[in-house]
Amino acid sequence: MMFFEAKKVFSKPINKAAIAILAAVLVIASFLTIRDVTYVTSDGNHISGIKAAGHLQQEKSRWAGDLTEDVLKKVIQENAAIASTKEAKSEDWRENEKAFAKKQGFNDIRDMISEGFSPIENYDYNTAEGVSEKEVGELYQRRLSNLKIWLDSEDMKGNFTENEKKYIIDQYENLKTPLYYEYADGWKALMDSQYLLTLVMITLLVLGFLVSGIFSDEFSLKADAIFFSARLGRGKAIRAKMGAGFFIVTIIYWGTLLIYALIVLGVLGFGGGECAVQTGDNWLSLYNISYIQDFLITATGGYIGSLFILTLAMLISAKTRSTVFAITVPFALTCVAPFMQRVAIFAPVMKFFPDQLLALNKSLDDFMVHEIGGVVFSAAGLLIPLYLMLFFVIFPALYWVYQKTQVK
Amino acid sequence: MELKMNELTKKFGDFTAVDHMELSMTNGVYGLLGVNGAGKTTLMRMICTLMRPTEGRITCDGQDIFKMGSDYRKLLGYLPQDFGFYPEFTVLDYLLYIGALKGLRPGVSKKRTEELLAKTGLTKVAKKKMKKLSGGMKRRAGIAQAMLNDPKILILDEPTAGLDPNERIRFRNLISELSEERLVLLSTHIVSDIEYIANEIWLMKDGSLAQRGTAEQIINSIPERVWTCLVDKGMVPTVTRDYQVSNIKARAQGTELRILSQEKPFPNAVLEETKLEDVFLYYFGEKAGEEDDVF
Repeated sequence: MMFFEAKKVFSKPINKAAIAILAAVLVIASFLTIRDVTYVTSDGNHISGIKAAGHLQQEKSRWAGDLTEDVLKKVIQENAAIASTKEAKSEDWRENEKAFAKKQGFNDIRDMISEGFSPIENYDYNTAEGVSEKEVGELYQRRLSNLKIWLDSEDMKGNFTENEKKYIIDQYENLKTPLYYEYADGWKALMDSQYLLTLVMITLLVLGFLVSGIFSDEFSLKADAIFFSARLGRGKAIRAKMGAGFFIVTIIYWGTLLIYALIVLGVLGFGGGECAVQTGDNWLSLYNISYIQDFLITATGGYIGSLFILTLAMLISAKTRSTVFAITVPFALTCVAPFMQRVAIFAPVMKFFPDQLLALNKSLDDFMVHEIGGVVFSAAGLLIPLYLMLFFVIFPALYWVYQKTQVK
Repeated sequence: MELKMNELTKKFGDFTAVDHMELSMTNGVYGLLGVNGAGKTTLMRMICTLMRPTEGRITCDGQDIFKMGSDYRKLLGYLPQDFGFYPEFTVLDYLLYIGALKGLRPGVSKKRTEELLAKTGLTKVAKKKMKKLSGGMKRRAGIAQAMLNDPKILILDEPTAGLDPNERIRFRNLISELSEERLVLLSTHIVSDIEYIANEIWLMKDGSLAQRGTAEQIINSIPERVWTCLVDKGMVPTVTRDYQVSNIKARAQGTELRILSQEKPFPNAVLEETKLEDVFLYYFGEKAGEEDDVF
């Protein structure tokens, strides 16, 4: 019976169009993500995509290994050597690009040094230029001390409880150092670009179209009388609808995400997945995880968030008998909620909304922690179990609500 | 099999759609006749467990149908008035889906579908999408879905609404054929739909039964007699005001009227045999004229 429910969904022309749009977005997002990886050639020209990845992989492989004090010193030395060249000192930006081309092998590490030696609230790209070989060995201690300074600053007063501060500091202290580094531009492009969030949001909106009619279409098509007067209409047939909704969300969500990841990683390389997220754009992150774990947590968070939002849409569809009304739920929670979060009065509440789960990778650096009953949770640590529990509450409610339907 | 209604009442706010009905049905064809708004659909929807009564109860062989749940619904075949379907499904898919909804095993469902496609003359269009079917074909698909589980109780709500005369006759014959050894309740506001196939006719008015019995008993139940007479065209408004007129026909010599009256209305009036449609006019009066295709 679930097969027929799925067939009802996929045979609707509007749903076919929605899937075609999702497929197009998937292709475009993959293309743009791959194109985001750029490489500057020795003559100062930019190339991007698969060729750029090949060059970067070659150059970065020289620096693969633990980022010990010796390695950091070597980066400072090479950086200083390049900075003293005439290309680097030139007023012509094209010449500067030629100088930059020489740094690309260790540029990620140079960025980490800049981050580590800049105050948290005031990052300066050029900080690495002023760091001496002697002091660069303090990189990991600096990360911790900068955090403590920032947490105790006037600006942060009242933003964190003592328990929350302790949790964040503990997380920083628990980061395993020296960090391991290797070429991981595939993972970085996948997780640190804006396209993953866009893709998850569009997938959710498309899924909203697909599942919002599963329950309400019986009414709009006036098929409800036959459905509910049939032997299994108030039992197994409802479970088939729920199952169809669940599997459509699961298969399309994971299908989209995995295809996207496979395309990006297939082109840019699977290597570097074990590197800590701090080796990329997430130097400040309190999550001590690798890129593979980042992907798994982000994808799982997005899945739980999508599952909750879309089950809520189905529940509204079953209760109100309106597909249009149901479709507004994913739209409101993915597109309107982020705007509401910018309004100071709503911000404290909005950080608990399920849209937060759709972009956990983007909040790795956010220091978003919640203290509940004396226990401190990270955003992912709180929201994933919370919305999983809420899903388990509203999913059976769907059955109960639809089973009670009276056909007038 | 006995389906019984005790003090069955359904209210929507202040409006009483079905008012304390006491009925009992066994195998046979029951024709439920009434104008739109008489409460026919509400009654049928309660029988199909689609809505709960405000008061009273419906029992099937002594058991409350709402408590029986799926055990009752497996006996049921229902063709609603506004027959909805899944437009992108083929006829075959649609019937196989309804077979699954009715709890038929896939093999049985396939076999029954093939049989009913043949019986309803839809075999050739089995692979056609439901939305591409003509009105008559859709109705036939509707009756096929109702018959899939070989129901002991077949409820047909206005099954001929919107059909052309040929389709209506075909449909009537099909229902007659399918009605053996089961309880069939067929509602309509078209007298000819049930005149010849119903074992018992129920006239429903304002949520209650105005009359019940065989066609003959119903015809004999009214005190009025039926007359035809020829009058001047100018007299028609006066006559229709003073009498219940069941038919008006223009003739070269004037207008021929079919009048319900205990006494001979005009000296030239000729006594005619009373038909069920005259009775319909007697019971439903002005409201009967609200429908274009009442007779």
